[in-house]
Amino acid sequence: MGERFFQHTFANGLALLCERMEGMQSAGMTFLLPAGSASDPVGASGSATILSDLVLRGAGTRDSRQLTEYLDSLGLRRSASVGVHHTRFGSAAVASKVIEGLAVFADIIQRPHMPAEGFEAARDLALQALAGVDDEPRQKLMIKLREWHLPFPYGRNSMGSEEDLQKLTPEKARADHAGRYHAKGAILAIAGNIDFDNVRGVVEQQFGNWNGQTPATIATKAPPGRVHHETQDSEQTHIGIAWPSIPETDPDYYTVRMACEVLSGGMSGRLFTEVREKRGLCYSVWAGYSSLKGQGSILGYAGTSNERAQATLDCFVGELHRLSNGVTAEELSRAKIGLKASTIMQGESTSARAGAIAHDYFMRGRIRDLEEIKAAIDGVTVDQVNAYLKKHQPGPFTIVTVGPKELKLPV
Amino acid sequence: MPLTFHYKQLSNGLDIVAERNPEAHSIALGLFVKTGSRDEQTNVNGVSHFLEHMMFKGSSKYTWEDVNRIFDEIGAKYNAFTTQEMTAYYANVLPEFTERALEHLSHLLRPAIRVEDFTTEKKVILEEIAMYRDDPGHRLYEKLMEEHFGRHPLSMSILGSPESIVALQRDQMAEYFQRRYGPGNMVLSVTGKFEFDEVVKLTEKYCGAWPRVDAPRQQPDPIYKQRKIDMSDAKLNRQYTMAMTPGPSAQDERRFAAHILSDVIGDSDGSRFYWALVDNAIAEEADFGFYPHDSCGSFYLAFTTDPARTEKAMTIAMAELERAKTDLNDEEVERAKNKIASGLVLQGEVPIGRMRSIGSQWIYNHEYRSLEQDMATVEAVNTDSLRQLMKDFPFDPMTIVSLGPK
Repeated sequence: MGERFFQHTFANGLALLCERMEGMQSAGMTFLLPAGSASDPVGASGSATILSDLVLRGAGTRDSRQLTEYLDSLGLRRSASVGVHHTRFGSAAVASKVIEGLAVFADIIQRPHMPAEGFEAARDLALQALAGVDDEPRQKLMIKLREWHLPFPYGRNSMGSEEDLQKLTPEKARADHAGRYHAKGAILAIAGNIDFDNVRGVVEQQFGNWNGQTPATIATKAPPGRVHHETQDSEQTHIGIAWPSIPETDPDYYTVRMACEVLSGGMSGRLFTEVREKRGLCYSVWAGYSSLKGQGSILGYAGTSNERAQATLDCFVGELHRLSNGVTAEELSRAKIGLKASTIMQGESTSARAGAIAHDYFMRGRIRDLEEIKAAIDGVTVDQVNAYLKKHQPGPFTIVTVGPKELKLPV
Repeated sequence: MPLTFHYKQLSNGLDIVAERNPEAHSIALGLFVKTGSRDEQTNVNGVSHFLEHMMFKGSSKYTWEDVNRIFDEIGAKYNAFTTQEMTAYYANVLPEFTERALEHLSHLLRPAIRVEDFTTEKKVILEEIAMYRDDPGHRLYEKLMEEHFGRHPLSMSILGSPESIVALQRDQMAEYFQRRYGPGNMVLSVTGKFEFDEVVKLTEKYCGAWPRVDAPRQQPDPIYKQRKIDMSDAKLNRQYTMAMTPGPSAQDERRFAAHILSDVIGDSDGSRFYWALVDNAIAEEADFGFYPHDSCGSFYLAFTTDPARTEKAMTIAMAELERAKTDLNDEEVERAKNKIASGLVLQGEVPIGRMRSIGSQWIYNHEYRSLEQDMATVEAVNTDSLRQLMKDFPFDPMTIVSLGPK
């Protein structure tokens, strides 16, 4: 067995990460560009989302249709999305086709046409998606929870606001592309049946001359408050609960992850057991660690019929407080096995691995191998978890609800 | 990739189908039962799905707490699902937990159905129904199935209605279980890293005593007719439209061509619907696809629009379907085949995806198809086969359902 992980940073700042996976035919690619919802220019929320559509409408020597048809002819399974920190383009197929497709992504990222009529269509689609949020209260709840929990601009909805989308113009979109689609801060990760020297050569040729300065950062400000209710005539009341946690790079990170697994890991997790299994209060209830660079949060959700919403909220919060009393050795042991199994099984998907190494590099500046992650999980003790939970009680809570009636907040 | 197929039928009639991949890191095991909402009497509608929940509530040996705890103790990724035509229970574990996972699945499928658990879980089912009522796409789909299939059993709701669930009795569920759950009407699908002899031995040990069942399924011919139904809900912003028209069944050789045609017409990127409806933002999303069922099948189309654009979108969609009958070209068919071939390669690398595919295939056809066979079949489809398919299934008649604010 040869080396597994490779990395190289080009002079312009682009980081290339590769993982060679034995026995795979495919490759998965994750391309992260430093254009997330948190860096959307002030007054232009949703701009990264518009760009992620617009850059695909013709690039380099190909018009919109030729571009799509060429990527399809390679058989690439593709995705494009906008997160808090990045715009992400993904592709997966037989490995040689993914590498062949890099030249097209070089055009998309560096030389998009961004036609004016394409801009109008992309904005129209973004406005339609935004109008659909009210029709799906669960989705609306999660958007509102992030807005009310995270500091601006991290809590902004990547779909943008109607007001900001209306004010965007093709010129502003082009300027935003010039300001944020940069090599500095970009991460290209490829995992699967690949040869690193070959990949590096192709990337050097396609992205070696890509340039750019460091994107502007936006001043942060605190969220509007910690309690919010949106009145909606829905079948269920949708409840969101969030509280601050430590960042992923903190030495206690796996201590917190273990506590989250105990709370809501498998079906033996406390929330599922107490809220759903014992009381039958809801179908969907969960809580999980959510990672941003330099800040962590725990986000939770429960959806329940309106007359039982108060009981659900009380039971949910009761379980969060009970966490401070500590976890048992058996609970911790299950949490460890669950998290380790997920990590190992991720090794069966080239796309999942590409996403994981890109995430690791962004958060930590390096790739961790499986052994390091397993050792970190195994190293957590019951005493550590319990000491942490005693010292850091969950809270202060942000509580957001979407439904016909406001709920009474727990003391 | 060195995937090998293995098959064994136990003396009680339980089929085991397995695809071994020594390169995999895990093993996926799924018990697939050929039963679903289409096999229910109207008065117990929703029993298949409710029973799926009750399977996690314990056997004579285990309580519901044991069931959840044991799955988590072995780090399993586990779940279950119910469709109109099958119910499946599966677990994905590291190879060292193969025996515990199989033993545990075997307990899952011999449920105690205790009255107190039944009563509590009924509330969860009612919450699940309420959750889906907040999802316009789901409301639309349920209504479309009901209208398109009319008196055919495929029209039955998977979840049932609040009324049918409230009325359902524990003993009715137990009786349904006795009739439908047993060798002869189920298959164990296993994929990933394992030794087949070991899997057979363990299955014999834990499932070898299960009694065989004879669980026939009614196959009346559906009666389709052209119709359009409008549903209104003043609180919605958007208009959701979906339509169904006959297509090949899950047994029909033309199903492969139907998948490729679906990609040409309705894939989310680069399809005819994409260029005619989404590229220009007439619709926010537009989809054309294929649902193969047992002994019958459907093509469907779906789009989401501003209410004022729905009619225009429908006119364009219909014109695209007509146009496809006459002007398909070889290049677009090749592109669709390439995308489908990539999807097969990716699926072959992940045990859980193959487990689902092989298990479902066995339920419908008692047949195993290797990835190479699927690749070759896809490769053999050409523009002529798609043209012939549209002559055989000319998108007529069509049931159209629309849900929006007016």
